[in-house]
Amino acid sequence: MSTPLSPLIHLIDDDAAVRDSLALLISTVGLRVQPWATPQGFLAEFDRSSIGAIVLDVRMPGISGLSVLDTLMAEGVDQPVIMLTGHGTVDMCRRAFKSGAAEFLEKPVDDQQLLDALQSAVQQHVRSRERDRTDHDARERFAQLSEREHEVLSLIVAGLTNKEIGRALGVSPRTVETHRAHLFTKLQADTLAQLIRHYADLVEAAP
Amino acid sequence: MIFRRSMLAVVLVGLVVAAVGAIVLARIELNHIRDSFETDARIVHRLLSQRAAQQDAVMAMLTLLNPADQDARPRIASVYPQILSVAQRTSDAVWPDAVLRTAETESRRAGRAALADADFAGGRFRILQAAAPASYVVQIDMRGMVPWDEWPMQPDNSPVRVTLEYQGQHFVLQPGQDNNQIWRFDFHKRLAADSQPFDVVATRTAGWGDLPWLRMLGWTALTAIALAALLAVQRQRAERRRAEELLRLGQVARLNTLGELAAGMAHELNQPLTALLASTQAAGRLLNDDPPELATARDAMTRAVEQARRAADVVGRMRRVVERPDMAGQLQSVDMRHAVSNALYLLEPECRRRQVVPAFDPGDRIIQVLAEPVALEQIIHNLLSNALQALDQVPAAERTLHIRLQTAAGYGELSIRDSGPGIAPEVLPRLFEPFFTTRGDGLGLGLSLCESLAGDMNGTLTAANHAPRGAMFTLRLPLAEHT
Repeated sequence: MSTPLSPLIHLIDDDAAVRDSLALLISTVGLRVQPWATPQGFLAEFDRSSIGAIVLDVRMPGISGLSVLDTLMAEGVDQPVIMLTGHGTVDMCRRAFKSGAAEFLEKPVDDQQLLDALQSAVQQHVRSRERDRTDHDARERFAQLSEREHEVLSLIVAGLTNKEIGRALGVSPRTVETHRAHLFTKLQADTLAQLIRHYADLVEAAP
Repeated sequence: MIFRRSMLAVVLVGLVVAAVGAIVLARIELNHIRDSFETDARIVHRLLSQRAAQQDAVMAMLTLLNPADQDARPRIASVYPQILSVAQRTSDAVWPDAVLRTAETESRRAGRAALADADFAGGRFRILQAAAPASYVVQIDMRGMVPWDEWPMQPDNSPVRVTLEYQGQHFVLQPGQDNNQIWRFDFHKRLAADSQPFDVVATRTAGWGDLPWLRMLGWTALTAIALAALLAVQRQRAERRRAEELLRLGQVARLNTLGELAAGMAHELNQPLTALLASTQAAGRLLNDDPPELATARDAMTRAVEQARRAADVVGRMRRVVERPDMAGQLQSVDMRHAVSNALYLLEPECRRRQVVPAFDPGDRIIQVLAEPVALEQIIHNLLSNALQALDQVPAAERTLHIRLQTAAGYGELSIRDSGPGIAPEVLPRLFEPFFTTRGDGLGLGLSLCESLAGDMNGTLTAANHAPRGAMFTLRLPLAEHT
């Protein structure tokens, strides 16, 4: 029932029995699981571009889950991380969240709790990847504008009417109207509201 | 090491205090000697000056009365014993002696009596008063001139040396004692009579023998006693601190071991439990699938069984690790009174802090029970600590703590009764359960451990409430063989 396109969960636990049973449990809801026996192997090889989440045991020999978490955050890995611990203290929990953990669960973990956490983590990741892509597309379209169109766009975003823009740029309102039409086509916007929502940030960021 | 150093410091301070005190005492004594010496010397000077003035007066009287009668002169000598002889020169006569002629001139010039000559070796001198119609000269016996009945010192054995001095001549009035020359006091003053210009010279020396050795020794002894007392108090305090420290360390060590054990147990058990839970829940989900995935579900269940066995093994291993060694071989005859006193001694600061005065009724005879001494003290210490903590919850004025020893049917019985809030009825049946606690910060092992220890020593530990308020714990241990 799992498809190659379904989200991939990276599961890191040094205990084979725990790893196998959690992998089985996770796979029952249609998520793909890639189990890792050691944090070192995981850090060296896992696919950073995959969509999904990471389930990380805190207590492992050699390198603690918390330092693995720190390494992931330092690398800028965007998959949400769910921490699992045998006996968690408040302090450990605080540290995990401070370091950027998405969730902190105690072992033995109830299936519903773990699966809910995984689902919401995956959704969160998918959304953030989508948002990244939208931003990327908008930036590309924005780069296609001519210099004059840039000026017109920044004045539109500033709230000026065609007449005022024409006066400010020393052209006729009719010319402004033409630029405006090109803007909407190039930026694939249907309404003024859409245009402002997607491109106001880029206009302000541009020099 | 630190204790050694502080002891050395106390001894040094003590030595300094003793030395300073002794020096001050010696100083005071020397000042006293000097003061009394100066007083005596001034009295001597005044007495001798009075006598010299008296002799001047006699001269004046002689010249005024001018007794014609030759017999009158010896009579004067009998009234004034220091006057050895009186001689007269009438205006037509001439002094046979050149010294007297010079003195006559001097007396006439000064208008008073004048010294004619002084023979200190012979203990006498002459003074002359020039007048008309007759001038007089009297010879004075220097020893007779001293008013011994008014003399402020014992002339024979006083340590003060008194001399009269005139132009290099010395006349010793009182020899003094000059055997030691460490401290020396001097007095030097001319007589208050111009006709007899003699210097009164007094000297007093003092040596080691004059110092107040008895008082100085007494002071030193006093300092030593105070020092010894201080050191004893300090040592006692240090001993108690050490005992408390040991006890606390023991508790901390036990708690640490327990904490380690708990952490290890949590991990060791959590792993199989996690796998077990995940496997069974996965199996449940697989069976609910349509169609059910029977083969995978069966594998999951097999794995679950394995993990349940693994968890059981962990528990078994753990139990073998924490099993207490059999106490039967270590039981010995222990004086319960002694054990209670020890625990009370260690908890004395706690009691004082809470304004609790424990009332200990040790019974009318010594109760020897069969116990392991350390375990017994641990039980008593725990029960007393609990009672003190319970007393925290009532006002200071209502805090009482009764400890009682008695024997009952072959058992030694220790009861500890407090006036705290007592034990809630719903708590009472679970009081000795491990990990059961009503205190937020407690592990819930104290009373459980106490009861286990009591059981290991073939005794019992019971708890009850008593009227009007408070908890009472009773520890029973079998009496040792009667000896």
